[in-house]
Amino acid sequence: MHNSNRGGPVDPDDAAVISVDSLAKEYRVYDKPEGLLASVTGLFHRTSRPVEALRGVNLSVGKGEFVALLGPNGAGKTTFLKLLSGIITPSRGTAHVLGHVPWERDDDFRRRFALVMGQRNQLWWDLPAAESFRLHKEIYRIDSARFERTRDELVDLLDVRRLMLQPVRELSLGERMKLELVAALLHEPEVLFLDEPTIGLDVVAQHTIHNFLKTVQAERRVTVVLTTHYMKDVAALCERVVVITHGSILHDGPLEEIVDRFTTHKIVTLDLDATPAPGQMERFGFPCEIRGPRVTLRIDRTRIADVLPEILRSESVRDFSVEDVPLEEIVAELFRAAPVPSVSHASVVEATA
Amino acid sequence: MNRYLSIFLTFARACLVRDMTFRANFLLECVTSLGWMSMNLAFYVLIFTFTSEIGKNTGWSKEPFFAFVATGLIINSIVQALFMPSAEELTEMVRTGGLDAVLVQPLDAQFMLSMHRVDFSSFANGLVGVGLLGWAVSRMDYQPSPVAWLLYPLLILCGVAILYSLIIMLAAATILLGRNQSLYDFWFYLTNFSRYPAEIYSGPWGGPIRMLCTFVIPILLVVNVPARVIAMPLSGESWGLIAAALIAAAASLLISRLVFQAALAKYRSASS
Repeated sequence: MHNSNRGGPVDPDDAAVISVDSLAKEYRVYDKPEGLLASVTGLFHRTSRPVEALRGVNLSVGKGEFVALLGPNGAGKTTFLKLLSGIITPSRGTAHVLGHVPWERDDDFRRRFALVMGQRNQLWWDLPAAESFRLHKEIYRIDSARFERTRDELVDLLDVRRLMLQPVRELSLGERMKLELVAALLHEPEVLFLDEPTIGLDVVAQHTIHNFLKTVQAERRVTVVLTTHYMKDVAALCERVVVITHGSILHDGPLEEIVDRFTTHKIVTLDLDATPAPGQMERFGFPCEIRGPRVTLRIDRTRIADVLPEILRSESVRDFSVEDVPLEEIVAELFRAAPVPSVSHASVVEATA
Repeated sequence: MNRYLSIFLTFARACLVRDMTFRANFLLECVTSLGWMSMNLAFYVLIFTFTSEIGKNTGWSKEPFFAFVATGLIINSIVQALFMPSAEELTEMVRTGGLDAVLVQPLDAQFMLSMHRVDFSSFANGLVGVGLLGWAVSRMDYQPSPVAWLLYPLLILCGVAILYSLIIMLAAATILLGRNQSLYDFWFYLTNFSRYPAEIYSGPWGGPIRMLCTFVIPILLVVNVPARVIAMPLSGESWGLIAAALIAAAASLLISRLVFQAALAKYRSASS
């Protein structure tokens, strides 16, 4: 069914490092009714339905870009990364990464990218990470001098040299993730796919990993595609955001564009001399919170230039700030408002297994 | 090829380091394995207190039969040490999505999935098998010719290749089904047929089993052919079996490779 798009590697020097055209992935899932009788019946007769994890996605990513894939759970982000890294094959459409069709799994392609999954451990569990690094050296055919230089640079950047000789199972989640990143970057990949790399990490570990990724990306011009649920990751790292919902791209552009495109309000916080009277502030905008003399108002973006001077004129304002609506709120609203695709295609199919 | 050997040695080294880390577990595995084997040998010794031959006029008297048992021990220990631990782990890797990490590495996935774990404790049985073979051959009336000694390791490799191919096809089923926890059991049931001389499969029930296990799933060629070569004089029938073992090994490797590749193309991965 899928289009394997054979025909030899495309020269990626001038082209996009990642180019995706009408990429779709459909799964067939079995419905399993509750109860023992239904389970026994299910041994002989099952109903299945198609689920479209990705619906004809188009995307182009240039060399050195840092792109975030945002979307709610089940939106198709990880499926997209798995297609781009060649783990699964698509139902329709084509993709090229570094000039290769990922699901053909050429060794030449696989030597040039890395995939890190925050929820999966790729290091040897019972052994120190140094053993996994040594294996990595053999698999990726890294010569000894280059291996030692790269490993030393990476472990020093993340300050994990002392952890290399400790069995992985004895490390904390944050320490493990840092070593996973070192392993993934030992062969100096040109493209890095990161699937929720900061999931479950504390703020210090998140911050360290942000700095590390920024440094690596800037120094080596690595093209990075990141999926995450943490807006801090996005704000710290990504110039470009691709929002995926229900398997389709809803938005593709700079982070600021999301704010411009999907919010109609600004948040104005005022520190007044005294607690305002009930209803006093409503003429300026919607009061989100009034806590003593501190008032938070939601004001239409188009009116902000008129309303703010008026507030400053008519109220005793000691201090104020004007901010965009928090990114988390914008994105959550975006996900909620995303149109649900038609389900006419999802016909239930009877199958006898 | 050198690279794959080097990677395999890295795997083996890491597994040895791990086994040494959990020394008590390693020793327990050796003891369990040797205990199970000793019980089997005791059972065969017991049988030979009632009979002088397995099957009338088959030639499998006590010493040749123990050469047969030793051959089985050697083949099974190689398979159990090199391939079975990885295959058993594959079920979990498919179920949890751990296979994803293997597929993104620039390495043959079949190699990686079938050889990344080495169970050194299983070699204990093989060492006992070598000792038992030496004991049995030294007490046999017939002494194997130099040609038989040259053919023996080659046919051992053929036996290992046939069993390995079976494991790979069962592993492919795991990838297609998403879960196949009976993999080891199924392999055990199948290989049970290879533990006895082919001559016992005769008569209205045995004949079809012998045909099935020789030409369809060539499990009867695994131990029987090398054991016959070392325990009995080379005859016209022996040469026919040697050719069959060589062809079966090559065909099994090829078919299992194709089945495995087809299964990988259908891999769905697990949700994260």
